[in-house]
Amino acid sequence: MNRPAPRATQIAIVDAAVCDECGLCMPLCPPGAITMHRAGLAIDAVTCTGCRKCIDPCPVGALAMVER
Amino acid sequence: MIDLLVVGGGPAGLVAARVAAECGREVLLVERDPAIGLPVRCGEGVGSKGLEEFLDPQNGAAPWISRRITRVEFRSPSGAVVRVGHGDVGYVLDRSRFEPVLAEQAVAGGASIRVGAEVTGLERDGAIWVARINGDERVRARIVIGADGVESMVGRWAGIDTRVRAKDMESCAQVLLDDVDVDPETIVLHFGREIAPGGYAWIFPKGPRSANVGLGVVALRARRNAMAYLDDYIGTAFPTGRRGSRTVGGVVVQTTVRSSVADGVMLCGDAAHMINPLSGAGIVNAMKAGRLAAETAVEAIAEGDTSARRLGAYHDRWMHVLGHDHERFYRVKEALGKFDDQFFDSLACSVNAIPEDKRTLRRIFYAALFQQPALLPVIFRYFA
Repeated sequence: MNRPAPRATQIAIVDAAVCDECGLCMPLCPPGAITMHRAGLAIDAVTCTGCRKCIDPCPVGALAMVER
Repeated sequence: MIDLLVVGGGPAGLVAARVAAECGREVLLVERDPAIGLPVRCGEGVGSKGLEEFLDPQNGAAPWISRRITRVEFRSPSGAVVRVGHGDVGYVLDRSRFEPVLAEQAVAGGASIRVGAEVTGLERDGAIWVARINGDERVRARIVIGADGVESMVGRWAGIDTRVRAKDMESCAQVLLDDVDVDPETIVLHFGREIAPGGYAWIFPKGPRSANVGLGVVALRARRNAMAYLDDYIGTAFPTGRRGSRTVGGVVVQTTVRSSVADGVMLCGDAAHMINPLSGAGIVNAMKAGRLAAETAVEAIAEGDTSARRLGAYHDRWMHVLGHDHERFYRVKEALGKFDDQFFDSLACSVNAIPEDKRTLRRIFYAALFQQPALLPVIFRYFA
């Protein structure tokens, strides 16, 4: 039986005022939840698994985890 | 329908567009940003030999060059200095002028370039790619070259795995410093766990008293973000320097993606992780890859076969030219990562025992090995 993966209790968010839009976090995201748009970086809250892999590498600390 | 759509107006894309257009193909290059060459997200250092395959630096007089570099200085964690190289080492570019020159050449060759044009989606229609530009416009192309950088979406849309492990990502920060005392012909690379864990700090002169000062860290080894490390480094090394523009970015210090092609798609440069994993250098690599991709695209279109199998010739050529070297460099990087600061300090002393004018890479290798038997596994991995 196929069960949907349990939803992460925490997800990553980006502070648009701090983000430099360098794109470093994009290839680090295993499910590819991070995309870049004219309006800036976007993290898809549904796709994000809360793995934290994008958080520490951000050169300016623009990413953080929040409770879903 | 056009022959070739190039996504991204950096060195890889601009060279690819020029080469394919010069072969008579209909080429469109699209760049998301409003200008070619800006923003600069780069240390701007480049070796002279590779550069001269593409543009004539006129011995440093070309307007797109900031400085001619004749010497490299390595600083060990404790500050021991090792100088190498006399004469033709390389250049520090002014990329805000460099890329526009590459763009002029591409246009002169017959390519079209559009800025402020973002590809927002890519779909397959038979043997053709249909790219959505700025949301609603559609461009049909036989082949798409993804030269769209570390954040490549072309690779993702084409089903190429471009993901990177955290240990293979350098987080970089850089500030343009004015009013600093630097040797305008020397680039400095400064190593140390406290300065830049997993990477190094660099000082690349831009003018008589200005320099790109930056560093890269591997987050898994770091305690803070890259910009925080850079603030500390500048505070110690250049306390009176006047800070200009700052930039950050990711450098993938891995090997080339397993396959840089898909049906009708080729990835070039940072998008395919074509970066020297030891040095983090990528500009010349990107241009070489762009040229190879364009040559393969022209052949494939002429033969009417743009399948991944046919375009795989590009990947093979790249691996032959540089990709396999990067695999060796990666093994060295992994081996060196196991050593501590003390090791690099004593290595600096060993190398300094060689007269400066006799410091060829081979001599450094042998002398270092003789005095540092711990280097044996590194050398073994290089040749393995």
